[in-house]
Amino acid sequence: MMKRALVFSLGLALLAGCAAPTRYIDPAADDGPVAMTMDYRDFEKAATDAVEDMLGSGAVHNPNGGRYIMVVSRITNDTMQRIDTDQLTKKIRVALLRSGKVVTTTAVGLNGPEDEMNMAARELRNSAEFDQSGVQKKGTLQAPDLSLSGKILQRNHKVGREQQVEYYIQLSLTDLASGLAFWEGETPIIKRGSNKSVSW
Amino acid sequence: MKRLFIASLLSVVAVLVGCATPPETSSSAARQQLNVDPDVSYSMTVAELFEERVAQAGGGSLLHIQFAVAAHSDAELAWKVTWFDANGMTVKGVGEAYRRATLLTGQTRYFKAVAPHSRVTDYQLHLREPN
Repeated sequence: MMKRALVFSLGLALLAGCAAPTRYIDPAADDGPVAMTMDYRDFEKAATDAVEDMLGSGAVHNPNGGRYIMVVSRITNDTMQRIDTDQLTKKIRVALLRSGKVVTTTAVGLNGPEDEMNMAARELRNSAEFDQSGVQKKGTLQAPDLSLSGKILQRNHKVGREQQVEYYIQLSLTDLASGLAFWEGETPIIKRGSNKSVSW
Repeated sequence: MKRLFIASLLSVVAVLVGCATPPETSSSAARQQLNVDPDVSYSMTVAELFEERVAQAGGGSLLHIQFAVAAHSDAELAWKVTWFDANGMTVKGVGEAYRRATLLTGQTRYFKAVAPHSRVTDYQLHLREPN
């Protein structure tokens, strides 16, 4: 009995020794293996392509000077994965904000305001408990000029003994005054790998 | 004995003052715009490197760069641009990761990058072979 326990413990210790140690990955220097699913590198590539193209094309340069106000509309996830599309849109928003060309409103959204505090702070109006000089006045919220919408598509194919997974990240930037798409872009991300790897 | 003590005290103070001297900083002129790892040179050549400032509708201009790489053999390439303002400070782009590209023998590919802000005045392009 004692011998069996000793062998079991030794086996466990060996297995623990073989496991890869947990380590930090620096996104600026990551040459690690590629997954068949979408990972952070794919979102970074798509966001970089989109932002550079928006800035390079002049689509986000306000001819009247100043910054455009953008709202994030629907980004449809048409893949087999559970993706939080904020992984993509947040990078684009941050880069556009840093560029000094675009600021994003959190007061408007398809499913209500992104930051509900925009309206909650206004409910303090006429409350005797609050110093009214600090309460937001009527008509101070800014309406958006531009809307960012898009779709992430996935297509799977068998290529010989391998599988090919294609992702297409499609984005549109619509001018809300005219309803015209001022800018559109598509970043394809194509991966080919073992049939055994899963892409969902 | 007292003189010896004072002399040694002064020398210790001199050494400490020497250590406190701030390190010299190199100017931005020392930075190369094109930084190519030697391994890359075996399989490809950087044929062109252009830069231009493109005027923006609301005023100001943005730095655009374009480079061309000609492959002698099938190869993988990783590239990244770091942007700098007039004071030599880095200006953040969308991400920090290298962008990957595949080149076929005899192929020349052109790559473009756009500065993330109009205050960017300089850049460094780094080419390397991914592992």
